[in-house]
Amino acid sequence: MSFFVVGYYALLLVTSCLAAYFNQRQAFLVLFSLTLVSFVLGIVGGVPALRAVATCAGLLLFAGMIAYAFREFLIYLSSDDMGKELRTAPLTAAFGMFVIFTYAIMGIFAPWIAPHGEAEVISSAFAPADENMLLGADQLGRDMFSRIVFGARNTVALALVGTTLAFILGAMAGLLAATKGGFFDGVMGRTADVIMSIPSLIFALLMLSIFGGSLAAPSTSFWLLTGFFCVVGLLFLAAAAEGAMGWLIGAAIAVGVAVGLALFGTSIFNASEVILILVVAIIYSPRVYRLTRAVAGNVVVMDYIEAAKLRGEGNWYLIRREILPNSTAPLIAEFGLEFCFVFLLIAGLSFLGLGIQPPTADWGSMVRENATLISFGDITPLIPAGAIALLTVAVNFVVDWMLHRSSGLKE
Amino acid sequence: MGDIIKLVGKRLGLGLLILLIISIIIFFMVELLPGDIAQAVLGQGATAENLKALRTKMGLDDPAIVRYLAWLADAVTFDFGRSIVTDEKVTTIIGERFANTLFLAAYAAVIAVPVSIILGVVVALLRNSVFDKVANVVTLSFISSPEFFLGYILILYFSVKWGIFPSIASLSDSMSFWELLNRTFLPALTLVLVVMAHMMRMTRAAIINLLASPYIEMAKLKGAPPWKVIVKHALPNAWAPIINVIALNLAYLITGVVLVEVVFVYPGIGQALVDAVSKRDFPVVQACCLIFAATFILLNLAADVGAILTNPRLRHPK
Repeated sequence: MSFFVVGYYALLLVTSCLAAYFNQRQAFLVLFSLTLVSFVLGIVGGVPALRAVATCAGLLLFAGMIAYAFREFLIYLSSDDMGKELRTAPLTAAFGMFVIFTYAIMGIFAPWIAPHGEAEVISSAFAPADENMLLGADQLGRDMFSRIVFGARNTVALALVGTTLAFILGAMAGLLAATKGGFFDGVMGRTADVIMSIPSLIFALLMLSIFGGSLAAPSTSFWLLTGFFCVVGLLFLAAAAEGAMGWLIGAAIAVGVAVGLALFGTSIFNASEVILILVVAIIYSPRVYRLTRAVAGNVVVMDYIEAAKLRGEGNWYLIRREILPNSTAPLIAEFGLEFCFVFLLIAGLSFLGLGIQPPTADWGSMVRENATLISFGDITPLIPAGAIALLTVAVNFVVDWMLHRSSGLKE
Repeated sequence: MGDIIKLVGKRLGLGLLILLIISIIIFFMVELLPGDIAQAVLGQGATAENLKALRTKMGLDDPAIVRYLAWLADAVTFDFGRSIVTDEKVTTIIGERFANTLFLAAYAAVIAVPVSIILGVVVALLRNSVFDKVANVVTLSFISSPEFFLGYILILYFSVKWGIFPSIASLSDSMSFWELLNRTFLPALTLVLVVMAHMMRMTRAAIINLLASPYIEMAKLKGAPPWKVIVKHALPNAWAPIINVIALNLAYLITGVVLVEVVFVYPGIGQALVDAVSKRDFPVVQACCLIFAATFILLNLAADVGAILTNPRLRHPK
């Protein structure tokens, strides 16, 4: 019986008794069931198991305190209305916001935070951590910590752009289908059905085997991106243009904007990344389409839409001023969810060596490249994987809260 | 009974139609290649004669539609042509691996389905308690983690630190069944964790939805004991959503298997697909995609049919 074990049980028992005395039934239930579980764990796993439990509890407590402080901080900073909303946020959502905030800082200021360059070889392969390298070196002798910091920028930016494109395409098609109805609606619905009936990872692999990966050509990626923007432009046009003249001018503008955007896109991302973004956008836009179609479909049958139509408003006005403002809440939540899916898909593809190509630092491929360390009991390869998991969990927490709030889902 | 068969037949026909469209997409996607397959295989440095020889050998001189029909006719009889890289028959590459993958998925499903449904119902009954909230956070974390994260954590603890299970799932014919189960336990467990989280959440949502309906309230008000409310009133109506949950998650298993197979070096079809994609071995890629898509559609179909069979209301569409 070490001092630690005595202290451990004493703390648990004292706090559970206190909780019971002050009628905190929920807290009491958790604490006392933890005590009971600890008896079993202590017998089976000995002191190390108890230590692990204590560490976990400590980490949870720490996360809870951070979340609480961060929520208070946000409430203090924001206006009264926002503050009132934020006060209803559960601690999990506050924690999620804190994590997203941290990642954003890490991604934006990556070159200043990271002590070494992204692809800079500074020591021998798999060198252990020292005062120069916080987490040691990877398989080529690059600083692990710097690469994780840069990964926050590369992986998240790619996922964000992919989600945005998927969202613009899907949401625009959904809004249009809801307002136009009829033939267009039917065709879009069936197309979405077909794309969704192919498993996303498999579809991504199929498309990458054809266009992408390390063999992607800059010209192919440029034309594909232009084509994608043209399709989006066509959707906008179908909503906004009136008369043959409007179509003609609109089409000219749309093609021009599409080429411009494609040039911009290919100048930021390299060819294989552009392909990856497009693949993701095509795979996930049907899901966005489905939701937007459903949400907008409920709005379209409202009386105020009828009134606007009778006033003689066009489709574009209806979409922009009537339907969109009334369906933002579920759409924003959907954006968060889609981001999680996209992020996991990109991480999975990179893990398979088919996504973001080296030497760009990326969490998925870092796990794969350093996986051999795991068989020596080293946890560093798990850190980028954990970073992926942490961000997705965080976004999910925030989305959970937003869905709860917007739908009034009280069960 | 007749109308059920008709409805199921209609769904089957729809599934077949979608599969046909998918086969068209899979085939003609490859046609979109800049250049053609022969060009892609031989690369930029190919001579004109080499290209011509390969084109004749692969029958690329025929128009695409003829080749598609020939490919489809062969695919229906499970003949997917020959691999470009190794010149083996695609069926011999994939055949055994597909059986392995099905074994892994079935292994995971046998554990995950009963446990997650029972847990889901329990959590639904305890809704809004601490346990429910803890379960919510835990399942959300499992869903949000990439499969390889869970897989490597399991390897780190179960095989490297504690040495209970092997980390690499290599199979051989001479293994006994128990040996096999032991070898494939970690990949199966990874899949179980992910799928279980999904299933628990969906089951919980379905049950809670059901428990909020007026006739359950009625049963409670008339004084029926709680277990009777669940077993006699809620359960018959819960079957439809539960079957739906199971089928959808089995479909999810089929794709989740790709990453898990790569993590554990498991000789399954997912790994064959990933290898083929990085080597640009198009016949294998096409075959794997078609198989995965067909399984996915079949399971979704099963969900639909299950829902129709267990819910009489769906048999009489207005």
